[in-house]
Amino acid sequence: MLTLIVLLIGLALIAGFVGSLSGLGGGMFIVPALVIFAHVPMQAAVGASLMAVVATSAGASVAFVRDGWTNLKVAIVLECATVTGAIAGAFLAGLASTTVLESLFAVVMLQSAYFSLRKRDGDLPTSSDRLCRRLGLDGSFPGCNGSSVSYGVANLPGGAALMMLAGLMSGLLGIGSGALKVIAMDQIMHLPLKVSSATSNFMIGVTAGAGALVFLARGNVLPMVAAPVALGVTAGAIAGSKLLPYADVRWLRAGFVGALVLIALEMGWRALTGV
Amino acid sequence: MTGGMVIPMNNAEDRILRVWTPILLRVILAAAVSLLSIGLLVSLRHSNSDYSSALETIRQSFASRPRPPESLLREIAEGNPIAIATLGLFVLTLVPLARVSFCFLLFLKQRSFVFASFTAYVLVGLILGMLLGRIG
Repeated sequence: MLTLIVLLIGLALIAGFVGSLSGLGGGMFIVPALVIFAHVPMQAAVGASLMAVVATSAGASVAFVRDGWTNLKVAIVLECATVTGAIAGAFLAGLASTTVLESLFAVVMLQSAYFSLRKRDGDLPTSSDRLCRRLGLDGSFPGCNGSSVSYGVANLPGGAALMMLAGLMSGLLGIGSGALKVIAMDQIMHLPLKVSSATSNFMIGVTAGAGALVFLARGNVLPMVAAPVALGVTAGAIAGSKLLPYADVRWLRAGFVGALVLIALEMGWRALTGV
Repeated sequence: MTGGMVIPMNNAEDRILRVWTPILLRVILAAAVSLLSIGLLVSLRHSNSDYSSALETIRQSFASRPRPPESLLREIAEGNPIAIATLGLFVLTLVPLARVSFCFLLFLKQRSFVFASFTAYVLVGLILGMLLGRIG
């Protein structure tokens, strides 16, 4: 029993670390890791992955919010779009073809990976556009030598539209959609990558938390798998949140692109095989 | 505030959020982690099984049955490790909901109605999603 718990905590630690650094939540890493390496049944792995996303969000957000990496205003505004999408997804469940959605998701991930590779991190707006200025969405993050670096925010409607799609995917496919959230902020709204990652971490816990409550209430979570996973992920997420301020943005972006390609492959596989 | 047309959160709200949100998250997270750790330690105390039989035991414990609150509390009182871990997981899922509720109350108190309405919308959406049983 001890071996199993140690293995689950170890796998979850890595997932939480990567999930908090990338803003993807760790859910996409934990399901294959549990099934392939720990031989945990798929149904239990999916339940544990929802708990993992909540734990990543909670663990990482403590430091990200306190240190000023999370843009709270952007998160609060965009959560409206995410929740709207998730509710729409809940109503549309069973009507839309999951194969089409998974294929679409895979294409969006590949396209985003391509645009992420081409993006130059020096191209950040220093002032917000009119709507974002009106809502006071611009912010700052800790720079070198105790200084703070100001940034502007642009294209809220475009970002909100992609967030709605992220919520829709969550409602329809039961995934966290952390990747779409980071893309919406990084590529559409031109927030700095580290701010996008920290803000995505803050946001993903909300929809995942609601989903996890539903799973738990139905008895669809295996506590003796989810408990060590949640503990490992929390520790990994806290460690990741300590490292993010010092991480090289180029390496962070390269890791993010790699994760997008992996998600695209996973979604493509799901679309092709129906698994 | 940079002009008459601007409707952002004010600096006091931002400061309160940056100070109190991490504290709120940390307190709930600490409670969840404590319960999860106790659940695992109790389960270790009652089990000497090897890896494969432990996994099989865990599979069999996956009864896919919802635990009514009174049953959960009774099992916790009896020292059932699965029930203790389940309570820890419930507490963990409260983290994001507590955070949204806290933001809503703060904005309401500070009479920042634009952001209060944003958070109220999210709260209503989450509750609706949970009732529908398919969010996330």
